[in-house]
Amino acid sequence: MSLCNRNLTPLQRRSMNRMVSVLMLTLVTNLSTPNPANPLLDLFPGLSRLIAHNGHTPALLVGLLSAISLLPVLLAVWVAGSYLRAEPDEFIRALVVRALLWGFAVTMAGDAIAGVFMNFYLRPLPLSIMNADLFFASTGIAFGLVQRSYR
Amino acid sequence: VKNCVRMLRAERNWTQADLAEKLGVSRQTVNAIETGRFDPSLPLAFKLSKLFALPVETIFTE
Repeated sequence: MSLCNRNLTPLQRRSMNRMVSVLMLTLVTNLSTPNPANPLLDLFPGLSRLIAHNGHTPALLVGLLSAISLLPVLLAVWVAGSYLRAEPDEFIRALVVRALLWGFAVTMAGDAIAGVFMNFYLRPLPLSIMNADLFFASTGIAFGLVQRSYR
Repeated sequence: VKNCVRMLRAERNWTQADLAEKLGVSRQTVNAIETGRFDPSLPLAFKLSKLFALPVETIFTE
């Protein structure tokens, strides 16, 4: 199985589509943190007009936005879990589990490093709201590398 | 764990894809088992045993 492989089984194709949807949701929820560390706002300053700014956001809305940012993480775990439960090929299952573990490892390592920097400089870093993005990217890269190690 | 899956498959003139289809796994899985980089689970080992009509301990050795 590879990301661009045409020989995906229906289960793999369905799970891949679900994961891409979750990834899209992740990109959308990146906008839910309207502070200067938001990389999307840095790239597209015009987007800041569409969302509320710090200091003018009701606490309830902040709570809601933080809950929304949790959705992609929970959905990704659900998609990965349901795929692993249904995947009949134990070798592919093992590859996916290893890739997921690498994804978690890279995300946690990134968080640890970002935490030190944020405490030191007392300002937020983009990485703090890009956990899900980092997880998806590192898991995808790890899957390719793990798969290649068996060739 | 060593195995003689490659030899048994070759004796039957099956490709890795043929064996993979019979086992219900991917070709990569067959390749990983044949090269000894992946040890199959008991259910898959028994499937191989049934397919080759040989005891598991004949196909897999320490």
